Amino acid sequence: MVQYNFKKITVVPSATDFINIILSRTQRQTPTVVHKGYAISRLRQFYMRKVKYTQQNFHDKLSTIIEEFPRLDDIHPFYGDLLHVLYNKDHYKLALGAINTARNQIGKVAKDYVKLLKYGDSLYRCKSLKVAALGRMCTLVKKLSGSLAYLEQIRQHMARLPSIDPNTRTLLICGYPNVGKSSFMNKITRADVDVQPYAFTTKSLFVGHTDYKYLRYQVIDTPGILDRPFEDRNIIEMCSITALAHLRSAVLFFLDISGSCGYSIVQQAALFHSIKSLFMNKPLMIVCNKTDLQPLEGLSEGDMKLVMEMKAEAMKTVIGQGGEATDDEGVLLTMSTLTEDGVMAVKNAACGRLLNQRVEIKMKSKKINDCLNRFHVAIPKPRDQKERPACIPQAVLEARAQQAAEKEKRKTERDLEDENGGAGVYSASLKKNYILANEEWKEDILPEILDGHNVADFIDPDILMRLEELEREEGMRQVEDDEDFEMDGKDLTPEEQEALAAIRKKKSMLIQQHRVKKSTAESRPTVPRKFDKSREFTTKRMGRQLSSLGLDPSLAIERARSRSRGRKRERSPERGDAMDVDTDESNKKLRTRSRSRSRSMSRPPTEFVPGAGFKDSEQKVKAIKLAKKSVKKRNKNARRGEADRVIPTLKPKHLFSGKRSIGKTDRR
Amino acid sequence: MRDYRHGRGKPRTGWEKNSQIQRRSLTCFNLGFTSTLFRPHQYRRLPPPVAAMPQGDYIERHRKLHGYRHDHFERKRKKEAREVHKRSAMAQKALGIKGKLFAKKRYAEKALMKKTLAMHEESSSRRKVDDDVHEGAVPAYLLDRDTTTRAKVLSNTIKQKRKEKAGKWEVPLPKVRPVAEDEMFKVIRTGKRKTKQWKRMVTKATFVGPSFTRKPPKYERFIRPSGLRFNKAHVTHPELKCTFNLEIIGVKKNPNGSMYTSLGVLTKGTIIEVNVSELGLVTPAGKVVWGKYAQVTNNPENDGCVNGVLLV
Repeated sequence: MVQYNFKKITVVPSATDFINIILSRTQRQTPTVVHKGYAISRLRQFYMRKVKYTQQNFHDKLSTIIEEFPRLDDIHPFYGDLLHVLYNKDHYKLALGAINTARNQIGKVAKDYVKLLKYGDSLYRCKSLKVAALGRMCTLVKKLSGSLAYLEQIRQHMARLPSIDPNTRTLLICGYPNVGKSSFMNKITRADVDVQPYAFTTKSLFVGHTDYKYLRYQVIDTPGILDRPFEDRNIIEMCSITALAHLRSAVLFFLDISGSCGYSIVQQAALFHSIKSLFMNKPLMIVCNKTDLQPLEGLSEGDMKLVMEMKAEAMKTVIGQGGEATDDEGVLLTMSTLTEDGVMAVKNAACGRLLNQRVEIKMKSKKINDCLNRFHVAIPKPRDQKERPACIPQAVLEARAQQAAEKEKRKTERDLEDENGGAGVYSASLKKNYILANEEWKEDILPEILDGHNVADFIDPDILMRLEELEREEGMRQVEDDEDFEMDGKDLTPEEQEALAAIRKKKSMLIQQHRVKKSTAESRPTVPRKFDKSREFTTKRMGRQLSSLGLDPSLAIERARSRSRGRKRERSPERGDAMDVDTDESNKKLRTRSRSRSRSMSRPPTEFVPGAGFKDSEQKVKAIKLAKKSVKKRNKNARRGEADRVIPTLKPKHLFSGKRSIGKTDRR
Repeated sequence: MRDYRHGRGKPRTGWEKNSQIQRRSLTCFNLGFTSTLFRPHQYRRLPPPVAAMPQGDYIERHRKLHGYRHDHFERKRKKEAREVHKRSAMAQKALGIKGKLFAKKRYAEKALMKKTLAMHEESSSRRKVDDDVHEGAVPAYLLDRDTTTRAKVLSNTIKQKRKEKAGKWEVPLPKVRPVAEDEMFKVIRTGKRKTKQWKRMVTKATFVGPSFTRKPPKYERFIRPSGLRFNKAHVTHPELKCTFNLEIIGVKKNPNGSMYTSLGVLTKGTIIEVNVSELGLVTPAGKVVWGKYAQVTNNPENDGCVNGVLLV
């Protein structure tokens, strides 16, 4: 799934900036010092390097521009058309073509001047040639200023286009302007689209996402379309038409049955019939919005007929997708975005229909066969005919019923408010739930200042309790002053002192031990069970516990032991007594050896298992081989090893070629 | 930035973070909308839990919904006021090529500013214009009658032919710097011991015609390298003030000598003949002019191109 994201295009600089960047880079990155007295080849090389470097930079930057801008023929036709509608394909191609030409011409200039530089015989001549070359290249780029400015504007606009994935599940909302498309979009997604009472508030496509049955759906809000001949449509309407034409999506055609958008149902029906060719092969739903102003049943005869005609058209698409002819629930729906009545139903119906259509198409296509071998639904065989429903304790069921009843019985403040006239009219009395000694005191007005004091300083709900506490403390203090209290250590006898010390020591030890034993993640590293060092969990213990429960532990013990032993039992007959050894003090060596031999008792690795993702065992074997090959260590030093073939040169050319006037040929 | 403080020493990558946020938001979302136990109108007045998904017009939308920052306009004003100081600091501190470029640009800006200021200060009131009158000036009807001479109207072609005969030409560059032979030719040493020095290579730009073939290398004395051969010249029309890229037909005269003329060497001041059929010039008789003379005005070996001025 290619995510169309035009945000990654690099910034296109203006012509003057471009020239400045490249020239300053040449000045920084190439050597700058040269003198008249240098050898002529060195002078030539110095200046040739500058010319080539500049040309290379121009070439690189212009190439990035050409490559990063999308080619209208290579991208999805939806985006191709959208970009054509917005920016005019011809203009766009011309601009990019101009840049390409400039790039080639700069290359030619550089080539010519490097050729001329070879004949330079003085510093002055080479320098003038270099100046001429760079000047020519810069003039070529200056001519591009218009194209570069245009491309920069396009790039900025493209980066703000919504990232619509043309292949995923999409709901497309279309209709006349001001029928409530953007409000609907705001209700079901988190997109914050501008909703205003004037027409053409939405000027471009907007994307939101919503969920249905754990799948993500794209919702695309389009600008309103007017009923006009195709040639007269403006750019904004063309955006919607493009979206309708190219995206395989579910289409929700919005109808404003109250007429408050300014267009009558006749006009809207006319629009519907003029664009119905775009609804081919798409699950179509007619949604009647603004039912709070005008319910569907209250429509006039003529309007109702029109609506039914549209419904009939929509039914055709249902039949075309193999749905039943009588299934008309999901075709004509009513809702009101203001009261949110029916919004969710519309969304669910649309998503459901789209999902069904997509699943059907997928099932019919050939690609499903590639995926089918990955699906394997394992159904456990029922052991007996016993029914095993969910077990909910009776108390919980009763509590649930009670809660439901309570919820319905209890009257909330909201309900009170609604009854008594709504938000602005009714103000809740906050004092009615006060808990006071005398019920009549509830409506009393509390003074703020009394006798020159702040009443709030003296209010305390627990004042009586505090008073009692204070008195108690006073009483106790008096008592304490009378008694002596035992001092630590002085009045104790030596034995008592010893006992005290011992007790304190024991207490601190216990605390330490507890801290060590405390099994939280912070106090100890979490080590998995197989490295269980304290060896508490043995099969004997398990057997003991199971038998205390009243179950037969032998099967469980056997299974546990067989997993840790492995299948090579017959290889080591002398370890027969080792099999019985399973106590806490078992031999460390035995333990490690048995661990190293542990192997799963499952099938051989090359056997074909349904649901593992392979077509047959041949494919599985091939996959295993590939996996093993990939783990082999590469000879990254690329040094010759003993295993590599050596082809020596038996007749080196330099010893066997060339004439010699005098001398032997065994050394040269 | 990777945050190494959380978790068990595992760096939390940006991807993980995103997925966590997504998961969180999904659960909020699911609770709000897919559950049918809660009645929708109970949530009517709750604000959205997190900021909504920005669409293409997010900047304008934010401005519309929340307005500007409380200090936005003040900050903007102050920033613009600071620009002046920044610019002057840059002008004083910039060194090297950047400094020179900046100074040049700034000078041009200042000149333009002065012009516009002067324009604004021009008053639109009209002033009286005084023309000085010469002493002894006489109106036309009081002048004496001069003797009339009979002058023949000569056609342009005849004038040119006469000039050619006289050998005198009015050219834009009447005088050029003489080019010495050692500057013009480079001595090529040949022979087995490289002692023979009779060959010369021309170091300046040359023109050889399309039908040129070299003499056999053993006998050619003057080598005109192909890299220095030019076929086209950028010729400016002095009255139209525009430049055309015209083919050279031949070298008429090189001011440094007849030898150079015969070799076809193009130096500054050389008269060349160019193909002007592009211009569409027509003689009074109705014939199409396709060849005209031009003079070379630059040093082609230094610039890599031949620039000239058309002789009209």
